[in-house]
Amino acid sequence: MDAKDILGLPKNSLPQEKKPRPQKDSQRKPDGISREVYALTGGLAPLMPAIDASQLKKRPPTDEKITWQWLPFTSSARKDNLQLYHWTRVVNSVPPTGDYSFAKYNKSVDVVKYTDEEYEKYLTDPMWTKEETDQLFDLCQRFDLRFIVIADRFPSSRTVEELKDRYYSVSRAMLIARAPSPGDVSGHPLVKEPYNVSQEIERKRALCMVLSQTKHQERKDAEVLAEAKRIAESRMVTRVAEESELPVPSNAAPESAERTSVPGDTVSPSSNVQLPSAAVAPSTATADNASTLASLRMLRVYLRTYALEQMVQAASSSAGLRTIKRVEQTLQELGVNLKPRVPTKLVCAEHLELRKEILTLLNLQKQLQYKEAEGSSFRDGSYADTPGTPKDRTFVPDMSFGGERVGKRDQKRKAPGRLSEAPSSPAQSKRPRKFKASDL
Amino acid sequence: MTSSSSSKKLVPDQPEISGSTTKSLRTKMIKSEDSEKRILNKKLKDVEISLPIVYGNISFWLGKKASEYQSHKWTVYVRGASNEDLGVVVKRAVFQLHSSFNNPTRVLESPPFEVSEAGWGEFEIAITLYFHSDVCDKPLNLYHHLKLYPEDESGPMSTKKPVVVESYDEVVFPEPSEGFLARVQNHPAVTLPRLPAGFTLPPPVPVEDAIRKKRGDTKDHPLSQWFMNFSEADELLQLAAARQQVQAHIAKLRRQISVVDGPHQQQLKSLSDQ
Repeated sequence: MDAKDILGLPKNSLPQEKKPRPQKDSQRKPDGISREVYALTGGLAPLMPAIDASQLKKRPPTDEKITWQWLPFTSSARKDNLQLYHWTRVVNSVPPTGDYSFAKYNKSVDVVKYTDEEYEKYLTDPMWTKEETDQLFDLCQRFDLRFIVIADRFPSSRTVEELKDRYYSVSRAMLIARAPSPGDVSGHPLVKEPYNVSQEIERKRALCMVLSQTKHQERKDAEVLAEAKRIAESRMVTRVAEESELPVPSNAAPESAERTSVPGDTVSPSSNVQLPSAAVAPSTATADNASTLASLRMLRVYLRTYALEQMVQAASSSAGLRTIKRVEQTLQELGVNLKPRVPTKLVCAEHLELRKEILTLLNLQKQLQYKEAEGSSFRDGSYADTPGTPKDRTFVPDMSFGGERVGKRDQKRKAPGRLSEAPSSPAQSKRPRKFKASDL
Repeated sequence: MTSSSSSKKLVPDQPEISGSTTKSLRTKMIKSEDSEKRILNKKLKDVEISLPIVYGNISFWLGKKASEYQSHKWTVYVRGASNEDLGVVVKRAVFQLHSSFNNPTRVLESPPFEVSEAGWGEFEIAITLYFHSDVCDKPLNLYHHLKLYPEDESGPMSTKKPVVVESYDEVVFPEPSEGFLARVQNHPAVTLPRLPAGFTLPPPVPVEDAIRKKRGDTKDHPLSQWFMNFSEADELLQLAAARQQVQAHIAKLRRQISVVDGPHQQQLKSLSDQ
């Protein structure tokens, strides 16, 4: 009321005052729970009220007498007749009946059981004694086929794959032996897809490889795959262009297809993978060049500058944006126009070759840095310690045209320890070193 | 009875016995013309014809005579890089000016391919080159930004010294027809590679409107004193020097990498021995 005076609003007449209150009540909706509690649900009624609000304050029907008593119980899950006690909700002096409510969760695996005769008949194996097999099956039963645990508990040392192999082949043999006819069980997964030890070992090893891949590896793999994709695409282009005289793309494609499968499934160590990607790069470059030439020829007329642009793009297709910028920086520092002023055929060809050579130069610089990093970390013996280092170093463009600077780093490394670009100063390592004119 | 259908087969030389000699002769001539055309239309691979051009604009400040809407008079043009006649290759050039100009689409049917106008604003001009029928049936687009004002705005404006912006480029025909090649074989405006040995070309067939009264070259053009010189020699020198440097550094790096690899291999061995 006073507020209204201050605001200068006309005072409400009495009937008006009464109206807002019932409105507020109906808006409130909840009856049975307090306003604040209702607001927790969002203040609005849910579409499907999960709990009827009126139920919340309901008290249990007064005709029932509830007490809580400390009573013994048994569980069907136990075999030892152990009697335990717990609080039980007793209604009208009637204790609850029925099994222990959690007994139904006691599931176990049906591990096959064989007799000694069956063992003699079907299950003998040169690699396994009966005793070991029995022990294995006992553990399987106890630990519900948790092979990691079983392998740990197994008295003699056997790998998880060996144990699995033995278990599955025994189960399979038993299944087939006991079946009335082979056709009955042919649909069973054990029979249809038997456990393949060597495949499993390979698979796990490959997974391990993938897991332990450094960032460096990941990028190399991505590069190789991207190049393979590009080669496949350029093959499509040349097929569309109906150029029959371009053996290069078709040669490059199967090569790179083979090589991309290498990092994918098999066990190749990291150095092997580096080689294919380096070898793929030049063949991709020629593939790109050839396909660009083909597409240019299709044009029937074009400008020399346009052709140069396309060739430059094709040549730097495998390089990232940063590398391209560095190439341009190098060109400028060498005093060469980014776009030739007199783009004759010869000038354009020279320009393109120069760009390619600069790309090679930058790649070699990177390679050298990596090799030095690997070298030092091997010496430390702390290969796992510096996971972040290769990542950092990629982005340090060592623009030194002088080998002297690189040589200096070599000398510094005599002391066991870190490189000058160690992760201890990540900020520094990320800043590119300025190219000095005196280096020319 | 000879069929006068336009079959492209070469008719062997057989004397016609029947009376309709004239007709048969005529059909024979038509057929041999067709076959000639076919030969002329044949495309040559690995022989590319390139036409070096320079395109740009020259603009003069009008000084006292400048009005609000016409402060400069300028000419935009496409010329041969050595001022040769482009008409042998280019049939027509179309300059698309800013829409504020009257008839902004200026068509030039013969060289010199240029447009002179007066105005105050700078804008992009699209130049479309159309070629003769035996050259290429697809037109080519060039883009030039008209420049009226000098880079250095602080200097005094002079009516005598124009602002000149030119760009060099080459129009490349990757698979020219034999007819085109035959026609321009010795023309100074085009650049041809050396033809393969033993290569014979059919006799050239002149194109339509090849006979022109007006000379198409720009050697004595009134503005020729302002034309810029484009020599590839400087650029080649620059590029060669740069390439040499880069190659030297590459060699150095390769040596360094092999040095690092050497002891590295030994370390790997020692680790595996442990």
